[in-house]
Amino acid sequence: MNDPTVHIPVIVICTSLIGAFLAPVLGKYRPALVGLMARLIAPVNALLLVILLRYVDAGETFHYYMGGWAPPWGIALSVDYLAIYVALIIHLVSAVILLYAKDDLFGEVRGDLHRWYYTLFLLLVAAMTALAFSHDFFNIFVFTEIATIAACALIAIKPKKECIEASFKYLILSTVGSGFILLALALIYMVTGHFNLTLVAQNMGAAAEAYPLNIMVSLALLIVGFGVKSALFPLHVWLPDAHSSAPSPSSAVLSGLVVKIYAVVLIRIILTVFGGEVLAAAPIADMILIIASVAIIAGSLFALAQTDIKLLLAFSTVAQVGYIYMGISLLSETGTMGGLVHIFNHALMKTLLFLAAGAIIHQTGLRKISDLDGIAKRMPITMAVFSVGALSMVGIPGFNGFISKMYLATGAFDAGKPVFILVILMSSLLNGLYYLPIVVRAFLGTNAEEGKFAKDELPLSMTFPLVILGLACIYFGLLPGSLLELVRKAAHYLIAV
Amino acid sequence: MLDAELVKYLPVAAVLLPLVACIPLWAIEQRSAQIRDWFAISINAISLGLIVAMYPTIARGGTIFLEFPQLLPPFGISFKVDVVGFSFALIAAFVWLLCTIYSKSYMEYEPACNRYYPFLLLCLSGCLGVFLTGDLFSLFLFFELMSLASYVLVVHNQTKEALAVGYRYLMLTLVASLSLLFAIIITFEVTGSTSLVSGNYFPAASGLASITFFAFLAGFGMKMGIVPFHIWLPEAHPVAPAGASALLSGIMLKTGAYGLLRVIYQVFGMETVSGAGWQTMLLVMAGITILFGSALAIAQRGLKKRLAYSSIAQMGYILMGMALFNENGLTGDVYHVFTHALIKSTLFLCAGAIISATGKHTVDEIKGIGYRMPVTMTCFTIAALAMIGIPPLNGFVSKVFLSVGALDAGQSAYAVILVISSLMNGIYYLPIVISAFLGGEGEAIGPIKRRFGLEMAPSMMVPIVILSVAIFATGLMPEGFALQLSKAAAQLLLSS
Amino acid sequence: MNIISGLIQNYFYFASIVIFLIGTHVMLTHSNLIKKIMGMNIMETGIFLFVVSIGYIRGGSAPIVPIDGRGVRFINPLPSALILTGIVVGVSLTAFALSLVIELYKYYGTTDSDEIMEMRRRER
Repeated sequence: MNDPTVHIPVIVICTSLIGAFLAPVLGKYRPALVGLMARLIAPVNALLLVILLRYVDAGETFHYYMGGWAPPWGIALSVDYLAIYVALIIHLVSAVILLYAKDDLFGEVRGDLHRWYYTLFLLLVAAMTALAFSHDFFNIFVFTEIATIAACALIAIKPKKECIEASFKYLILSTVGSGFILLALALIYMVTGHFNLTLVAQNMGAAAEAYPLNIMVSLALLIVGFGVKSALFPLHVWLPDAHSSAPSPSSAVLSGLVVKIYAVVLIRIILTVFGGEVLAAAPIADMILIIASVAIIAGSLFALAQTDIKLLLAFSTVAQVGYIYMGISLLSETGTMGGLVHIFNHALMKTLLFLAAGAIIHQTGLRKISDLDGIAKRMPITMAVFSVGALSMVGIPGFNGFISKMYLATGAFDAGKPVFILVILMSSLLNGLYYLPIVVRAFLGTNAEEGKFAKDELPLSMTFPLVILGLACIYFGLLPGSLLELVRKAAHYLIAV
Repeated sequence: MLDAELVKYLPVAAVLLPLVACIPLWAIEQRSAQIRDWFAISINAISLGLIVAMYPTIARGGTIFLEFPQLLPPFGISFKVDVVGFSFALIAAFVWLLCTIYSKSYMEYEPACNRYYPFLLLCLSGCLGVFLTGDLFSLFLFFELMSLASYVLVVHNQTKEALAVGYRYLMLTLVASLSLLFAIIITFEVTGSTSLVSGNYFPAASGLASITFFAFLAGFGMKMGIVPFHIWLPEAHPVAPAGASALLSGIMLKTGAYGLLRVIYQVFGMETVSGAGWQTMLLVMAGITILFGSALAIAQRGLKKRLAYSSIAQMGYILMGMALFNENGLTGDVYHVFTHALIKSTLFLCAGAIISATGKHTVDEIKGIGYRMPVTMTCFTIAALAMIGIPPLNGFVSKVFLSVGALDAGQSAYAVILVISSLMNGIYYLPIVISAFLGGEGEAIGPIKRRFGLEMAPSMMVPIVILSVAIFATGLMPEGFALQLSKAAAQLLLSS
Repeated sequence: MNIISGLIQNYFYFASIVIFLIGTHVMLTHSNLIKKIMGMNIMETGIFLFVVSIGYIRGGSAPIVPIDGRGVRFINPLPSALILTGIVVGVSLTAFALSLVIELYKYYGTTDSDEIMEMRRRER
């Protein structure tokens, strides 16, 4: 415990939090520095997490006790591979989004609100990181709420009535979700007497025997509560409006990261706290599996009907969240790996797609897919990168989306449920049906008005993040070895319990 | 004699060179169209050279194997060349080179050539990749690359029609690749590897095995254009520029055939396939494909469309050859891959030459064209006669082998189908030839566009003439190079 | 009979769940935005009541250690302490939601979600 490396989780959460509170003050006197600070915090934290990962690799995973107070009195953080993996994704992707946000915000958010935008963004990052590390039910609840408020505000900060309305809808439904979660926590506390995940898990067996109803009800409430927040079909109704109307960097972070964090927390709770006995008593995993399949197909079908590019991307997120749930609820090693690796891959792809769509809107103001004929003549780099994301979504080999589909499919087979391979393939086809026409239209569509499509690329600060994401999609599609190694460890953590 | 270590890297180089060369090609084409054309041609030539360099090893009966397990786990990428893959790759690279040379002048007045050449190279890379890889998964990877890149070639003209056809092509390609992926995953899970060498067959017929087999059949059959899966083919091939149509029909269809050969002989094994009754089904499908393709070809008025339907019929021959399960049939099968690649690309290139010189697309409009474009029509006639199966030409040789194979297998009905289809070929090819030479002196055609005082640019004429000479040469030397390769390939497949 | 006697003995649980359900119902079904926010608060109150009553022990006193420190039964202080945090969270949510309603009123001139939906449909 003398090695300073062990404090990294707290440092990472706190730097983001402190940065969040510094941003408005700093922005008042030195507006130029706010963005710079935000853009520094995320990569530095990512670097710290890599160091932490090295440390954990050399030794073993551990629990960090805040202030040295061991539970049941103190607050515990669980420093395991799953948490580090998710936290790394959060920081890497936010770093890229923040880079992009610099110029994009001028088009979407009032100038004097920029510093508050960074506050909210960093707050959201801090809350998500804390959710990844939390080993304590009550902290999970508190950080869920912080993340919810920050996320809603990130949508409402754009002065448009659709945004306010979407944000309100999101807020109300999220609050219902939080209410369910809190009630579930109370029920668990009632029969186990603890909030710490490890202690709850130890008492779970006895409690489940004595008070089966409490446990079952709390499980149901948790699934619904986190299901609303992670947009698990059919609880996704808030998502399309919220994600499509928000400023593009917000859409990217909401779709790319936020929904998945809730999924991770839910899955961590179900698998590590409730554990095998409770799962054996009721077919929870099978139920989630079926809901996830429906989500995958229905999300894609809804996306197929959209004419607005950001709405289409939002509905596609509904389907992709289904992949994550499906992978993990297959309960086989490869399936879990597929679900977890899809968290990363989808974060890359969807961020990329939302940012590219944002770039198009930023530059041309066009949102309708039918207006995008020949847009590639005007924005070749953006559309090339968009195509990478789209091909990745479809699951063309050589791009990262293929890796997750591969693992999900083999996982479905390993779990003895080959039917779900068909679901995955079906959805690949549907993805193709709605993503490829956009690409085709952009590159091959004919647009008579030549003047309208003079070559007009983005500023470098927006192109650069896009290109990075595109290259990452290809890199992790071809050489996913190191990523899969980390994911395998994270999956072992989930399954071993 | 090349060093054995170097030989190992030949297939990788042959596949990756066109892929990597796209980047310099893209840089070059911003500067000069002239250099771009020559660069693309030389990359093609080098690829062909690399493949030819493998010949000594292959001729000794050896195989070349190299794998990269760290790429794309859990499968990894591997390259393995045996005589089957080598034969397919050789003819592919050869025809590809000629078509690229042909494109140089043909594409001169077409728009968006800067897109055409890189995708032609990508397609070549995918196509060679399919033939030279050592496991199903790598095969799938390159198959996908080829399919997607060829989409861009199909929609090259960007007309409404081309885009509509292209959309259907794209979606069916997607369906095909997903069903292949499904089959490959099941194969991997059941047999523990996707390798094409290990010889561990799929355990005999079960529900899962038949689902897998049909998924393979749908995936590769879609590319090959076998009858229930052919719907995209007759529309997609004619809309592409001539050079690309020749490659689509002449070469890329063969990737499906190649995959199916591997699946039948090396994944499932002959016993399983015949035991489960799939052999009969394949033969019936082949028969339907042959008759259906030929019959619809007769009904077509568009020149390229007729050629495309004829391709469907010819793929029926190839499917039949591989389903006969004996040496003669299989020899004829591989030999017909050579034959059809040469003939069909000649025909498509000639059709392209006619269209670019006269602007006429239908069979009726080109009466008397033989007087205006004698070289083109002579080559066309040679290829048409070969397709019908007139003796000294190579089409005759493959038909003989296929018929003997059918008789050996005790399936005399299929020998009869071959004869009928030859007659039908005559019905739809000969009228074109006859009206071209005997239908007046081409008054209706109007003036043709002459280049360099010739009926077409020399860089278009040379490939056509070379191909026609190759048709003659392979036909006149029945014990020649192509037949030896085919025999070796047939023996290899049967012994595996 | 068992259920009924159980309910009567644990009337505080029953009451808190009823409050929770009323709140949720108001939140999800009422079209007036202000009422939705009121529903939100009612729902939270129900949960808070529930959590606090978990820690309550009949006859227990507040957990302040008396001088002699003997023979006194304390209630469990942890739920009460945590609910303090919960209340803070609830207040901030309410404040945020109310500010959103003000914004919406600026744009639409109404606080009725059905009317807002109607207006948006007409705009399209």
